[in-house]
Order: sequence, then C-alpha cells, then structure tokens
Amino acid sequence: MTESKTLTGSSLLFEVLKDHGVQHVFGYPGGAIMPIYDALYDSDVKHFLCRHEQGAAFSAVGYARAAGTVGVCFATSGPGATNLITGLADALADSIPIVAITGQVPTAAMGSDAFQEIDIFGLSLACTKHSFQVTDINELEKVLHQAFEIALEGRHGPVLVDIPKDVQLAEVTQRLDKLSHLRNKVKLPLADISKALDLLTHAKQPILYVGGGVGMANAVEEVRQFAEKTGMPSVSTLKGLGAINPDNENYLGMLGMHGTKAANIAVQESDLLVVVGARFDDRVTGKLDEFAPNAKVIHFDIDTAEINKRRTADAAILGDLKGNLPLLTTDLEISVWQQRLQQMKTDFTWRYDHPGDNIFAPAVLKTVSDLMPSNTCVTTDVGQHQMWAAQHMAFNDPSNFLTSAGMGTMGFGLPAAIGAQISRPHDTVIAVSGDGSIMMNIQELATIKRYQIPVKIVLIDNAKLGMVRQWQDLFFDGRLSETDLSDNPDFVMLSRAFDIKSQKITKKSEIKAAVEEMLDHDGPYLLQVKIDAAENVWPLVPPNTANDKMMEGV
Amino acid sequence: MNAMTLNMYQLVIMADDKQVVLERILQVTRYRGFLINAMNAEVNTGNNVATITMTVSSERPISLLVDQINKLIDIKSVKVDNSEVQIQQYSA
Ligand SMILES: Cc1ncc(C[n+]2csc(CCOP(=O)(O)OP(=O)(O)O)c2C)c(N)n1
Ligand SMILES: [Mg+2]
Repeated sequence: MTESKTLTGSSLLFEVLKDHGVQHVFGYPGGAIMPIYDALYDSDVKHFLCRHEQGAAFSAVGYARAAGTVGVCFATSGPGATNLITGLADALADSIPIVAITGQVPTAAMGSDAFQEIDIFGLSLACTKHSFQVTDINELEKVLHQAFEIALEGRHGPVLVDIPKDVQLAEVTQRLDKLSHLRNKVKLPLADISKALDLLTHAKQPILYVGGGVGMANAVEEVRQFAEKTGMPSVSTLKGLGAINPDNENYLGMLGMHGTKAANIAVQESDLLVVVGARFDDRVTGKLDEFAPNAKVIHFDIDTAEINKRRTADAAILGDLKGNLPLLTTDLEISVWQQRLQQMKTDFTWRYDHPGDNIFAPAVLKTVSDLMPSNTCVTTDVGQHQMWAAQHMAFNDPSNFLTSAGMGTMGFGLPAAIGAQISRPHDTVIAVSGDGSIMMNIQELATIKRYQIPVKIVLIDNAKLGMVRQWQDLFFDGRLSETDLSDNPDFVMLSRAFDIKSQKITKKSEIKAAVEEMLDHDGPYLLQVKIDAAENVWPLVPPNTANDKMMEGV
Repeated sequence: MNAMTLNMYQLVIMADDKQVVLERILQVTRYRGFLINAMNAEVNTGNNVATITMTVSSERPISLLVDQINKLIDIKSVKVDNSEVQIQQYSA
C-alpha cells in the first residue's frame, strides 16, 4: 500500500486512467454518473462531449483503432448505458479494446426498478468481452486495472465497468501497491510448426489469407516480410486491408462477397491456405462447403476458439503471430502459380472508364485515395460506399482503414473518424459515408463543430439505402421496399448549420478540383457526391454460393 | 427430411465464485447452440471456487462449447467427463 491520501471512487477512476496513459475520453453525463463528471472537472483528462452515447462509443472505437490503444467512453445509467450497446457489440465483433464506464443507481436502490435503472451488467453479457459491476469501493481500483488488462489481453475486446453512484462517492485511503491485480495468462498449447512447414514445402498453389488479427497483433511487418520472402500470393479480408503492402505484385486484394475476381479464383484453386488472424467469416467464405475445396489449412490465431470453428485446420499455430509467423519462412518453388495469378490480376483489373457525365463512385474514391496524404486514416459507414472504398482505395496500414466489418453498423463512420482524428491530430482523417448511414449519427456534426475537428467527409449520395436496394433488385424481383431516400435533407445546408464547409458535385468533370479543395481545407469539410441511384457493387458473390460463381456488372 | 444427431455430454467447470458466472455460462451455452439437460452448481465453497456440472446436448461438436466457455474470463477449467453420462443419440 502506498499513499494514504483520501480519494473518492470517482477521483480514483481518474488516477487509474492516468496510470494507463489515458488522455482522452468520450462521453455524455447524467444523474448516476455525476460524481465522475464532478471529478473530471479537476482532472487532466480531456473529455469530448459527444451528442449521443452511441457516438461516444464509436469515437472510442475509432480512437482505439487509429492509435492502437484502448479507447474510453462514459455514460450514465439507464438510457445512457443502453445507448452504448451498439458500440460495444461493434467492438466485440471487430475485437477492439475499449473500456466503457457506466454510472449506476446507488447500490441501495439497485433491483428496485429505480429511476434510470437498467441491468446493464446483465445486458453486457452478450456484447462485451468481459464486464464488471463494482459494489464495494475496495474492489474498484483492482477492477479498473483489470478492465484495461482484459481489453488488451489476447484477442482484444470491449470491457464494461458499471459503478453505482454511492461507490463513486465512497472514499478509499489506500491505493494498490503495484499491479498486484494481474491475472494469470492462459497457457496456449505448443504450436504445430513442423507440421505446418511440411504442408508449406509440399504446396504448389499456396495463398496467404490475411485478416484483422494481423494489425491487432502488431505483426504487419512480419506478415509483409513473410509475403515478400516466400513470394506467396496473398488476399485480405475487409478488416485485414492495409496489412499487405498494396504494391506487392503478388497481392490480389480483398476476397469474399465483394472481393476481386482474382482473389476469389485464386483462393478457390489453392492447395494450401496460410490463414493469419482471420476467422473464415461467412462474408469471406461464401458457401462454406465449397470454399477453397482443395486446400489444406494452416491457421494462426490468438483465440483457440477460432481454430476448427468453421473450417478444420490441418496445422494450428496458437499464440503471438509476431513471434510465430517468421518460424514458417521458407523458400517456395511457386513461380508458375505466381505468374498465373499476376496475369489474372492484370486481366481483371478495375476499370474506371465509366460512360457518360455522371459520377462513378469508384472513380471518386480512387481519386481521393490517389490524392490523400500518405498516412491518411479513412473510416467508412456501411453499404455500397463501404465496399467501393474497400475495393478502390489503397491503405498502407490496417490502422488507416477503419470500417465496421463484423457488425456492419451504419452510423459508425462519422464518430469513428472523430475518435481517429483526436488520437492522430497530425494525420488527415476522411470519413466515407452514405446518405443513409450519415443520418444515423448526424448529431456528431455538433461534436465536430464544438471542437473544430478537421475531419473530411466524403458523402456518397445515391438517395438510396443503396446496398439494400441492390439486393432488392437482384434477389427480390426489384420490389423496392423502403429503400428510397430521395427526400433527404439538403446536406450542404445542413453542414452550414454546423459551420462545416461543404460542396456538392454532380459531374465527373468536377471530381478532381473538389477533392483537392477538400483536402486543402484546414478545418472540417463535407463533400457531397451525387451518384446514379442504379449503380451496383461488382463483383458480387450471391449469398450461400461458392466464391468463384460471382455475378459481374454489365 | 432433416437428419440431425444430438450428442449428450457432461461438462465439469471450475470457476471463480462470482454471482454472475452462472449467467455467463448459461448465455454462452444457449448462444452456441447447446441445450442444457441438467445442471448442478456448488458455489461458496470457501476457497472461492465454484464447481458447475452440466449435461448438454447438441448436434455440434462439444469442442466448440468448451473453447467458448474457456474463453470466459472467470473460468478456471472446463472438462468433458462422459463417464457418468450415457451417450445418447437422437435422430430427428
Ligand atoms: C444500423 C444498421 N441498420 C441497418 C443496416 C442494413 N443496411 C446495410 S447497408 C444499408 C444501406 C446503407 O445506405 P447508405 O448509407 O446510403 O449506403 P449506400 O449503400 O447507399 O452506399 C442498410 C440499411 C445496417 N447495416 N446497420
Ligand atoms: Mg445511399
């Protein structure tokens, strides 16, 4: 035990945040968290008042993902806490380390249906990696340290700490001596390296299948070296984009439902998949039984539960990718395979020569990607614009492409960009959004205004819930049910109401100058890009279909 | 016709003795597609370790559930112990 200064639970919280290097938090106050907001008043932590708790949660997620650290958000009890849930679920699906602190009604009132009482601890079970409810002030410090530790340990994830108001006000005289709360790390079974090496040396058509785990394991460098040294052709999941250098000649792009033709065909024909930090998600595999039907699998993961979950591994290598992957580096004789795939990559390259004057969204996003500074962080919302961004923009690190992959949560892009910009004030941050998605957290324009956060928003406006409209056209006989948004507000006028500079473009010829103006502007900017409502995202592997049976545009 | 084979398994789980631990196990078991046929939980054993035995059934391999329960932070160990269970297979 060290100091004997008396602290309230609330001021202890800020001491622990300081211990973990937390400088910024996102939140929204209310009755049951007032003691914490009172302690904030004296604290060095910078708090960003978001305009909805979902915005606070997503900003914490964006902060965590852009900076590779833990994001922190605060909310009050009841509705404040329930508003965090979508953000927690998103963080769980994408393995993002955030710590959410919620106020709770006083312990004496708990369980009495008190005003603004909800069992957020119960609600958290399905949407967090772990959660705590602290009913004893003497447990608070230990729990808070554990929350940070658990968020970052092994496979990252969200942790919720629910603190009743009386515990926030209660006093402690002693702080924990050292990090005596540390939990025993799980021992992972030994890796099956020799089996994997054997599989690898016998493979003639291997593919490196790269997922979001690479960035989280801080193993981008190791994966790139492995890809370079072995010359193995590679493909990426949505969350893995940026892990492989986009200029690598053997890199084929994204696989899966909206993956490149070359990537999907290569995977289907492969005889060995080296899977690094990926989990055979259904959006990646298409029809599981027909996914890479002739391939053996070497699966690297930190999470034992991902091994053999959807596809049996012939060799499983659990644990730290950074240390484990280099053990597999070896020379491969695969030049015939490489050349075939390089040829396919050339044959099926993207085309931007779209006829007519109208703006072709892939061309805008390609222009933004070509003109943006090199360490730009791009966030997206969910829908067609998200898939176009994944297909047509190039990222040099996974922390430069933040998208809601596992949960596919509309409303992610704008608040995530705010968090990203706060964690990386010197980098450009661009939110690629859709006219449907942006309205889901539009209130966060007020956060941008208040703190003058220089986020650039590229709004791909098709006046539609485009992705759903595309499916209605393709799979529901064109019965367009509730996907029209042609009565959207005037987005330029709306931006102006928040003091955000804005411009709308409708013609191809306007793209370059508009993108340059946006990137050159010092503060926040919204570029509304009107596109044709009938554009579809291609290629598309229809649901429950093998990945080589993709539909292509006309 | 939908052919389905349900296998029955007995699990022995050691966990930190916390109120919420049973809820966590129940939630994961249901979500991962296992039916609980029987359950016995002995908590407050003095050494702060709870012992939970469960008989579950599913068409899915038991390793899926074992791995997911093992991932819960409060869990110390999970073992499949079929010595007491008559392995039954149902066809539906
Ligand atoms: C919160 C939430 N609700 C519903 C959906 C289902 N959904 C997926 S894409 C989409 C349309 C998105 O429209 P918009 O943001 O305009 O993007 P577009 O597809 O038009 O580019 C919808 C409704 C979702 N992903 N998230
Ligand atoms: Mg749209």
